Amino acid sequence: MLTANSAVAVELKGVVKRYHELVAVNKLNLSINVGEIFGLLGPNGSGKSTTLKMMLGLVKPDEGSITVLGKDVQKDAVAVKQQVGYVPESPRLYEFLTGIEYLDFIGDIYGISTEEKKNRITEYLRALQLEGREGDMISSYSEGMKQKIALISAFLHRPRLLILDEPLNALDPRSARIVKEVLHKLKTQGVTTIMSTHVLEIAQAICDRIGIMYQGKLLALGNMNELRQMAKLPDSGLEDIFLNLTGSADLKAVVEELLK
Amino acid sequence: MNWRNILALMHVERKSGRLLRGVKLTRYRESGFFAYWPYWVGLAFGVGAGLLAGLIYSKTILTEADVMLLFREGTVSIFLTLPTLVLVYNLVFTMLQQIQRSGIKASSQVPYWLPVTWEEYTLASILANLLGFPLASIIFIVSTIMTFSAFSSQLLFASITSFAVLGAAFMASALTEILRILQVRFIGAVYKTSGRAAVWVRFFGSLFFFLAFYIIYLYVTSGGAITFIQTIKSTQTTAWFIPFVWLGMMLYSFTSGLLIQGSVFLVLSILFLAGLFFLAALLNKQFGLYEPPAIKISRGAYVPRTGFLGKLGFTATEAALIRKDLRAFTRRRELMSVFIIPIVLILVQVMQSTGSTMATPSAQVFVYLAASTFLLPSTVTAISLGNFMIGEEGQAIWRIYASPISAKTLVKSKYFFIIFFSVIVLAITGALAFIVYNPSLRATIVAYIEALFLICALGAISLSNGIKGADFTEIPRPRMIRLSWSLINLGICLMASVAILAPFFPFALSAMLPETVPNLTLEAFLNPLLALAISAIIAVILTGIFYQIAIRNARDLLTKTEI
Repeated sequence: MLTANSAVAVELKGVVKRYHELVAVNKLNLSINVGEIFGLLGPNGSGKSTTLKMMLGLVKPDEGSITVLGKDVQKDAVAVKQQVGYVPESPRLYEFLTGIEYLDFIGDIYGISTEEKKNRITEYLRALQLEGREGDMISSYSEGMKQKIALISAFLHRPRLLILDEPLNALDPRSARIVKEVLHKLKTQGVTTIMSTHVLEIAQAICDRIGIMYQGKLLALGNMNELRQMAKLPDSGLEDIFLNLTGSADLKAVVEELLK
Repeated sequence: MNWRNILALMHVERKSGRLLRGVKLTRYRESGFFAYWPYWVGLAFGVGAGLLAGLIYSKTILTEADVMLLFREGTVSIFLTLPTLVLVYNLVFTMLQQIQRSGIKASSQVPYWLPVTWEEYTLASILANLLGFPLASIIFIVSTIMTFSAFSSQLLFASITSFAVLGAAFMASALTEILRILQVRFIGAVYKTSGRAAVWVRFFGSLFFFLAFYIIYLYVTSGGAITFIQTIKSTQTTAWFIPFVWLGMMLYSFTSGLLIQGSVFLVLSILFLAGLFFLAALLNKQFGLYEPPAIKISRGAYVPRTGFLGKLGFTATEAALIRKDLRAFTRRRELMSVFIIPIVLILVQVMQSTGSTMATPSAQVFVYLAASTFLLPSTVTAISLGNFMIGEEGQAIWRIYASPISAKTLVKSKYFFIIFFSVIVLAITGALAFIVYNPSLRATIVAYIEALFLICALGAISLSNGIKGADFTEIPRPRMIRLSWSLINLGICLMASVAILAPFFPFALSAMLPETVPNLTLEAFLNPLLALAISAIIAVILTGIFYQIAIRNARDLLTKTEI
């Protein structure tokens, strides 16, 4: 049994991940609370995706420990995965299946009852405007449609933890809004969401706390007010804070150099 | 024509093979020598073969003048047929490569977003088709004939033959490119008109395509190498008006002293090659970005089914995996070859026995037939499926890793799929063999049971190795299993087959050599039922051991492999 009442959903202690000489994640300590929407930000190659994959056991840390919903993800992988919904950065789906067949497959994998599965799939397809295309092979879908299918497959089994790597990639504005609303609604039901994104407005709008990663390390962690204090930018938005903390503030000079 | 663009595009194609499972490509370095190993091997073997033939030839000159003459005539015959031979074989290989690539929707239409012309793109594509085995075989052939010609003083003839061989390879690849473009366009049109039946139209269409292709190939090659060469030699002189034999005709004319005729065929060949290339470029320009229309499989309200697998005792997860694999093998064109193998094996059998009276086979013939029709198609199916079942997941393997699927569940569903399909193949090919060759009832039952033993054991062995050696690379073609593990698996399967069938070897010997090992004497100390029981024990032990190894390998795959 997973510890249902624990206040901490995910805990990383001294996590290190190396790819040969490259240190992708460097001594990361992080604690994410139950029912929290947590945003993981950082420039490309800062270690966000690797961190998210380690939380689900898709990448093994070289050092440190990761506890997800009270369980060691390496020791109890199947039990943890049963409670987690995951969307990777670029989800490769089974392109030879139709949208409905894919979701049916996911429903069966997570052991959702037949009636429940039917209701949930129908609701999500309607909400994300995939009705009418669900019988087509996924190979004929646009990137946005594939992303919708990947998101539905993450929500379908009502997980207690959502790990979403760039979840709003390629989505149309209406669907992006629906997904944001769904995440808010799930939060009220105690579902924890950890997401990475490059769209800072989204992170600022929906995340309770934000972690900024840079070169494998956690540079800053906190809510918007705490981040403003850390960056010493009291009235600024997340973009300025992010650029300030990651040392990319002097963009003017870079642009001028490029256009010389 | 910008040759740097062409070379760059070809390099991309060559390097696409780097995406190997589990290899983290940070600070990737490539050894110039090892990157081209198939070509070095081709060259080494070619020079070796040429040296060997040259030494035999030199020795013959000194001793037997008549033999030397025959040798020289034989060489000329082979040289004359080489262009057409290379054309046929390269057509086969490049077509097979295209079939394997057909399931991948790679957006490589670079002329749309890079300053590359359609002509450059098409030429690079034609040349890249030849990379790998086709080019290695060409290097082997060219180096063999060039080395040999140094001994036989035929350097000029060998040089012209080498150019003709290169031209023939280009011809084959250009033809493949043309057929590929037309096929994509044609298939798209068929899907559009066939609506919801498109998936089955594609399945049976692909089966038909494979079969037609193999029948032609088997028809040409069934007579053996010498007959094949003789057929080509006689065919190309009578079918001189077919452009594909013009290179061969050019060589024939030059060796016969018909210089003007040879020159005409040379010019015609060059014009035909250019024509093929420009046709391919034109078709690419016309249809290059053509996307087949979406295949609609279902419509109306969604009705989930519990299905027949649930009634068999499979959990929802296991049944879902089996159903997903069933759809993969009936919808992914590159996986359909698994269904073709047993049909081709039967075809080979039928084509080889055409013309002989097989209604009442002799005991010797029956042993051969039993092996090839009862045992071979179903066991080859089990081996192929076992090898591919995990690797076929491709880049979508993350779905398996991220889902709550245990190693036992994964192996159970995959193993069931292997056994299920192999048994269907066995039922069909066995029934066919029974009807056509009319063996005794006892022999039929024994053959069926032994085939079942082989399916169970070889399926487990191949699955365990298929998991261990799984390769999820999809571009330029789905690999599914690493070559090294495929070879290891073949070796283990061979040994296991020998072990399982060993109790029946005395009976097989008795059937093959009735005078030496009479059946009555044999049955006095070895009962067929006892042989069956021993065989069953060996099969059960092997199946059990390798099933457990498969679970262990799956556990490693699910916990150690990173995406």
